[in-house]
Amino acid sequence: MTTQRETRVTAYCVVLAAGAAALGAALGLRGPLPAVAPLLALAMLHVFAENQITDLTADFGSSAGVMLCTAAMVVFRADESLLGVLLVGAAGGLYLPHLLHWEWRKILFNCANFSIAAVSGAAVFWAITGSGHASPGRLLLAALPTALVYSIVNVVLVSAVVALSTGQPIRELILVGGREYLVYYPFALLGVFLGLLYLDYDVALVPLFLVPIIVARQAFSSYLALKRSHEATVRILVGALEAKDPYTAGHAERVAEYAQYIGLELGIPASRLERLRLAALMHDVGKLVVPNHLLNKPGKLTAEEFDIVRKHEDVSVEILTRIDFLAPVAPSATSEAAQFSPIADDRGQPVEPHIVAVADAYDAMTSTRSYRRALSQEIAFAELRKNSGRQFHPRVVDALISSLRRRGAVHGAGHELYVHHVSAPRGQTGSAGLGDLLGADAEEPTVRS
Amino acid sequence: MKAVLLLVALGGIGAAVTEAANPGTGATAIVLMAGAVALGELVVMRPPHREPLPLAYAFMLVLIRAASPADALLAILVAELIVLPLRSGPWTERAIRSGEHSLSGIAALVVYHAVLGVDGLSPTPRVLTALGLAGITTILVHECFAFARVRRIPPLGGADLALVASGMLMAIGFRGVEAHQSVGLWSVVLFSIPLSAAWYSFERLAIISRTSEQTIEALSLVPEMAGLATPGHASRVAALSVTVGESLGMRRRDLEDLRAAALLHHLGHLCLDAEEVRDRPVEPFEVSDKGAEILRQTDLANAGDLLATDDAHVGSQILRVVSAYDDLMARGNSVEAAIDALYSGPGFVYDPRVLEALERVVTSSLVAASLVPAG
Repeated sequence: MTTQRETRVTAYCVVLAAGAAALGAALGLRGPLPAVAPLLALAMLHVFAENQITDLTADFGSSAGVMLCTAAMVVFRADESLLGVLLVGAAGGLYLPHLLHWEWRKILFNCANFSIAAVSGAAVFWAITGSGHASPGRLLLAALPTALVYSIVNVVLVSAVVALSTGQPIRELILVGGREYLVYYPFALLGVFLGLLYLDYDVALVPLFLVPIIVARQAFSSYLALKRSHEATVRILVGALEAKDPYTAGHAERVAEYAQYIGLELGIPASRLERLRLAALMHDVGKLVVPNHLLNKPGKLTAEEFDIVRKHEDVSVEILTRIDFLAPVAPSATSEAAQFSPIADDRGQPVEPHIVAVADAYDAMTSTRSYRRALSQEIAFAELRKNSGRQFHPRVVDALISSLRRRGAVHGAGHELYVHHVSAPRGQTGSAGLGDLLGADAEEPTVRS
Repeated sequence: MKAVLLLVALGGIGAAVTEAANPGTGATAIVLMAGAVALGELVVMRPPHREPLPLAYAFMLVLIRAASPADALLAILVAELIVLPLRSGPWTERAIRSGEHSLSGIAALVVYHAVLGVDGLSPTPRVLTALGLAGITTILVHECFAFARVRRIPPLGGADLALVASGMLMAIGFRGVEAHQSVGLWSVVLFSIPLSAAWYSFERLAIISRTSEQTIEALSLVPEMAGLATPGHASRVAALSVTVGESLGMRRRDLEDLRAAALLHHLGHLCLDAEEVRDRPVEPFEVSDKGAEILRQTDLANAGDLLATDDAHVGSQILRVVSAYDDLMARGNSVEAAIDALYSGPGFVYDPRVLEALERVVTSSLVAASLVPAG
């Protein structure tokens, strides 16, 4: 962050916090003071919830906040103490890592953001329900516009600070952030229940309320940790297996990265992206059973050798099929499934094999092999475009090219991470690879890796 | 998914018919709760190292609180009957499962009304205690049946707490205590949200755990497919190593490491520098040490330690003995001959405790196999 941006962010946080403090002071002077017991209970719960949940997703973290703020709106409704709601909201900004590292701007911003959003929500909630008796159904209905107002205030304030610190347009940030706030509604409804439970049974039932949320959080945390560990393990194992051949070292990792770019560009949902990444990482695992001297043979393969090399696809498919999660995309490892056919595309065939095929071919072209030096990125793009609609899926080719262009990523000749000391030929027909791209003497008409 | 939709449709029709026949009697809510119990039987939480827990147990608590004992009993039994054809697996197994879950619900019903009848407590704590104990009872009865099947005490924990706590809140929200407010079916719908979040999290955890296990199993096949080990060697060594480890009292966590090490103990062979080993035989220690080096870079570091040739851990000893045993068996030796060959090797090669355990395990499995009628 540049100094100018940093100054703006600091000013924004300070002004916002001053505004929230002034609002709190005005409410304290004008309105009734909140009862201490529910204030402490709900504020502590908010601190606890934010500290427990923040390491998950933004959705989970924020939803806990709206739940406890709505509970405060229900609890403090009878005496109309907006200050109580504001203080419960502000407590959500006390995030332990920020306190420990004394990130004061973040603390100020979060406290102010939560408290202003909570007071705005409470104004709507109380306007609808009044301070007298209201049926649970009415309270639940009122929670919906309350959640809407809370989320609007929240998303605008958060987008503003992100825009100031990154320079991104605030309108775009609001549009992106706004989509994630649907999760607020059920949690606002739960907040009504928490408030009613508190009013009816005091603090006794609150632990019961928290148990499933904490359990869900811990199980989800374990899931995220195991997911990260599993992916890292697969990366290391596949990487170690590839490392025996310096020409293919890092290939699977790069193919997984390009596949991820394409998937994001095509708007593939997160759960399928995860599957795609792993499938791409393991798509060539069958090659490990092929002797190195065949994979790197600088010249034509005999028919027998060619059969052995092609067998690796069957091995890859068998291995991927044994993993339930990857079984649906196991055909990614075969050249047949990756071959584009407009008819199959019309039938809604999975796009994953095409993504892996394009990512695989692109990496093969832009890497040095024993039989051929790396091609330039432009030649690789041209080759993909030439075969687009025939061998490769056109949408997938476009997605890769536009994604790489937008990221400014350059690969291929002169841009390889690993410098090969073995002098590979500049262009030659490669039996198991892509040497056939440059010369007119190409024996295999298709791009293979 | 079809089964879930079918149940939702059936529940809706049942509730509509009941409301038309007995308007305003509360029977509709009981029909809907019976539908929720049936639905909850199809949605199960799968915490690690446990038998699955149906969400139905939470909805049973609502029925127990909301309906008379006879109605609650009837609703539970009807729900379990309705769900019978929608379960998967052989019919006997489905019937056993429905029977077990019905008994869990009935036990909870008995406990709830027994506690409710106790004098000396004011109504609110009495209802809360009764619901809490009823919830715990469903879990305990469920686990007793599970114990009878797997002979292992399950690690009770978060999933049980989430089920019982959500069920209690739904039940209290559905029908308040004393003058406290009740919000009827809304409480069931809304308290299902955190419960569903817990279910979803356990579901993701179960899927990734399975994927992780299957990935290791699948990678264990690569050396076999490359002709570096006999087909099925890794999985046989893994299964027998775990059995031997169990007989030596190894802990669950150590057994998991042992299994992973056994499955991947030939993987190092594929990672050796191809040029370096091109024209010479590969030594076993090179394979082990390379495998250990790689696994130590991952979260399977403990499994990597077991592969290292200088490791004196009992798991490491088990792996060596069992792998050698499987090699001997693959060469056509009988069990006795293979065991004798292992005993007759130099004393410092194989740990005698492990050899004895292996002999016990394979001999008892032979005895067990001989008791199974042929054909």
